[in-house]
Order: sequence, then C-alpha cells, then structure tokens
Amino acid sequence: MNAGGTLLEVSDLTVTAAVMDRSLTLLHGVSLTVAPGEVVGLVGESGSGKTTLARSVLGLLESNITIAGGSISLRGEEIVSPAADRTVSIRGKHAGMVFQDASRSLNPLFTVRSQLAEVLRRHVPGIGKDQIAARSAQVLERMRIADTGRVLDSYPHQLSGGLRQRVAIGLAVVTEPALVVADECTTALDVTTQAEVVVLLRSLAADLGVGLLFVTHDLMLASDLCDRIAVMYQGEIVELGAVDTVLLHPEVDYTKRLLAAVPQWNGATSPHA
Amino acid sequence: MIRRILIRVAAVLVTLLIAISIAFALGRLSGDPTASILGPMATEGQRADLRAELGLDQPLLLQYFDYLGGIFTGDLGNSLQFYQPNLTMILDRVPFTLQLVGAGMLIAIVIGVPLGVLAATREGSWWDRAASALALLGQSIPVFWLGMMLVLLFAVQWGLLPAGQSGSVQHLVLPALTMSLYPMAHVARLTRATMSDVLREPYIDAARARGLSAGSIVWKHAFKNASLPVLTIVVLQAGTLLSGAVAVEYVYAWPGLGQLALQAIQFRDFPLVQAIVVFGAITFVLLNQLVDLLHALIDPRVR
Repeated sequence: MNAGGTLLEVSDLTVTAAVMDRSLTLLHGVSLTVAPGEVVGLVGESGSGKTTLARSVLGLLESNITIAGGSISLRGEEIVSPAADRTVSIRGKHAGMVFQDASRSLNPLFTVRSQLAEVLRRHVPGIGKDQIAARSAQVLERMRIADTGRVLDSYPHQLSGGLRQRVAIGLAVVTEPALVVADECTTALDVTTQAEVVVLLRSLAADLGVGLLFVTHDLMLASDLCDRIAVMYQGEIVELGAVDTVLLHPEVDYTKRLLAAVPQWNGATSPHA
Repeated sequence: MIRRILIRVAAVLVTLLIAISIAFALGRLSGDPTASILGPMATEGQRADLRAELGLDQPLLLQYFDYLGGIFTGDLGNSLQFYQPNLTMILDRVPFTLQLVGAGMLIAIVIGVPLGVLAATREGSWWDRAASALALLGQSIPVFWLGMMLVLLFAVQWGLLPAGQSGSVQHLVLPALTMSLYPMAHVARLTRATMSDVLREPYIDAARARGLSAGSIVWKHAFKNASLPVLTIVVLQAGTLLSGAVAVEYVYAWPGLGQLALQAIQFRDFPLVQAIVVFGAITFVLLNQLVDLLHALIDPRVR
C-alpha cells in the first residue's frame, strides 16, 4: 500500500450523514494523497465536503455521520474504514489539526503553558517537567513568537488574534506530528497576519517535512501556499493537480468558474484594485 | 485594584443598607403589635404603656436611626415573646440550619452534578431521561409533601429513621434529603444545559483533535467552563435556604432559623422578624460576594 512517498492516503472515501430518516451522501468516493513535506490544498465552496474530508482524517465527525466506504491510511496504516476507526491512536500524536477561529479553539480558562503541557504529557510518555518547559518554549519559537515566556504564562484572552492562531498551530505541532490538517485556519485573520501564518505553515512543510492538508475557500491563498490543489464540488474531487496546472489550465467548468470569481490584480475590472 | 475593591465594598454596604431599611419598613407596616401581644381584653392605657416601652411612640425617623445604630453595634434588639436578645437566639439556631443546608446542598451537588454531566455527554440516553425526570419531579413536588411521605415511609412504616427533631446523624438524613431535592433538580438541569452548550464549543473540538482523554475533555476542559453558572446557583440557593428553610424545618420540627422565623411571625414578634431578615440579608449579600470571588478565581477573564 505505502509507496514510500505517501504519508496520507485517502482512497475511494464515501461518507454519509443520517438527517431525519434520510441518508445524505457527503463524500462520493474521494481519493487523495499527501506526501511528507507536501502541501495539498483542498478548495471549494461551502458545503462542497472539504471540511468533512478534513475531519474524517482525524475521526472528528459528528455522531450522525458514518464512513460508508473506502479508507484512509496514514503512513501505510489504515486508520479509517467502514469497519473500524483507529483515529484515536493518531489524533494529536501523528496528526494535528488547526481550526478556523483560534480565539475559540483555545480553552479560555487555562494558560498557554498548561494547555501545551497537557498535550505533551498525553502523547510523550514519561516526559519530565524540564522537558515540557523546553519543548513548549521551543515550539513557540518555531512559531516565531519572540517573548515565549510571557506568551506561555498568558491566558488566551491576553493575546492578539495572530498570536492566538500561532499558539493554536503550536499546540497542533508540539508533538511533532507527520501530518497537519488546517481547516480555514487563516480565514479569521487580517491579511498581514494571514500572510505570516502562511509563511509559518510553509516552513513546517519545508523544514520539518510535515505533510499539510490545507482546507480553504480562498483559491489565491491556496496557490500561494500549496504544491498541489484538489478542487471539491458537491462531495467529489473534480480536479486534482499541481498548482500551476489547475490554475492556468483548469479542465472542469467548476474550477473555471471559481477562477473567474477571483478579483484580478491587473485588470481594470477589479473593484478592489 | 484598590479602587476596584473600594467600589466593591461601597456597593456591598449600600446593598446592605437598603436591605435592612426594607426590613425596618416591613416591621412597621405590619400593624400595631401591642394588640396581639396583650390580647383583645387589654385597655388603651395598657397598650400605650407597652408602646412606650417598645419605643413605638417615638418619631419613625428616630426609631429608624436607633435601629441602624443597634445593627452597627451588633444589637438586633430583644424578642417580644422570649425576652431574650434576638442575636443570641439567631446564633443558637444557626448551627442547626447550617447543618441542614450543608448536608442538603452536598446531596444535591453529589447527585445533581454527575447526573447533569452524564446527561449532557450522552444526549438522548437513559441518563439523559433520568436527569429530565429528576428535574421535573424535583421542581414540581412540594417540599412539605415530600417530607411527610419520607416520614411515613422511613419513620412510620419501616421504622428506620427518626421522624423529627435533631441531635444525631440519623436525625439529619430525612430533612437533608427532603431539602436536597429541589436544588438537586435545579443543579442537574443547569449542569446538563451548560455542559451541552460547552461541549459544542470549538475549544472542546480542538481538545479532541489534540487527542486528549475523554475524561480530561469532559471534566477538566468542559466542566470547568460549565461550573461557573452551577456554582452561582449552588451558592445562591444555599443563601436562600440559610435564611429560612421553613417548610422542611416545620415538617421535621428542626430547631433552625426557619422555625424561629415562623414563631416570630405568628406572634407578631416584629423585632425578631426584623432581626432574622437582617441576618438573612447580610448572609445573602456576603454569599453573593463569595460567588464573585469564586468566579474571579476560576475565570481569568473576570479578574
């Protein structure tokens, strides 16, 4: 199964949801791979199934949603199939997730230090106090946070939005997972901070070899950050390829329409220019 | 910081002043107590003498300042029926009421909180239905009826526990159980509601994504956030019960503040009624401050 270069392999995944007494199909036989150090963008409009796909990887689906067919493997090991859900063994340890709104993905009642410590204690058996302190500071430095001491002892509400999102990413990568799933993790940020976070994510992939599944509705952002792009529409991947190929030579109408909706930089037609 | 504390203290004092002023006004509005003390056969002269003795012939404003002065020096007046200082009688009764309310609230928390949490984490399950049933029963069964039924079963029918009075742990069981039902229902319902809200928060989702244990997610991350409203209700309910768990104390002949209040009202012993109201108001205001303090301890955002 594992072709050496594959970190995440989603094959023929079908996901259904029970709504009232009907069964809705959210994903129709979706296949996708992410290699170590590769950034794969998952783009599409709301309701296209990109968040469902992202959450399937970590086993974070609502209780009324079931895996009806196909499988997900991480490093050759099957973690999701209709028969079994082994995501517990990888969640937080081998795969981390970053959410849309960092101010709400950090528990308001605990300091950054104690939230990082809990994740480390949970996933690194036998880790000592000194090591926890060292690794916590280290991960924040990697997140390009200057005064790590102050940030560690802060509660989430004492930090700016950008800092909070960097802390949230830090929480997802402090255990050095092989895969990070980012679900619209820059949407709530202003443009400057967004750019900083993108650089940060890029460096995680380039320097640490983390595979990144980057979910976004922003095609331009995806083209900045990603190596490959998967375009989702109505629960299917309608187009998948290298960034340049997908952006410059889109094959399906839906991708063309998405591209047409992006404001142009040089055209006189752009209202934002 | 000091400024905030001063403002806080000033607010407490003003609240207390308003509460004790209302207690004074209520005492004066309830009619001439000399009629009920001396009975219908008393002459006008005898009643005038008693009024003078009680200071009721003084101008109202003077009576009010006397009363305020008394409170600040720890003098809550004397009872008309017991010929004793009110404060002494109240302090004699407080330990009994504290026992009762303490035990009752403990039972309410020990059963109500876990039931509410179980119901919230397993929505639609058997636990959830049990919690809803408890909440409905607990808030609709009258306390005096429940008290009588428990006496009938445990004391009269099975002879397991004493039917009334106080003195031992066995004496405390039935009154505490009776008292606990209403707050238990309230606590269970509120815990379930706040927990199920908190469990939908993104930070709980994120905690799951970080692979934290289910126990830590529910009890540490979710419950700590849900505990604030529950704590508020527990303390405020305790405050209400402290100033008079009248029905329970009456049914079980429990010698607490509620009984004393009942006797005082029946005899139109207005200084005693007033003293109990003042005592209750002070307790309640102080408990309110305790709630604020606990909030600040738990939630860094309100510090």
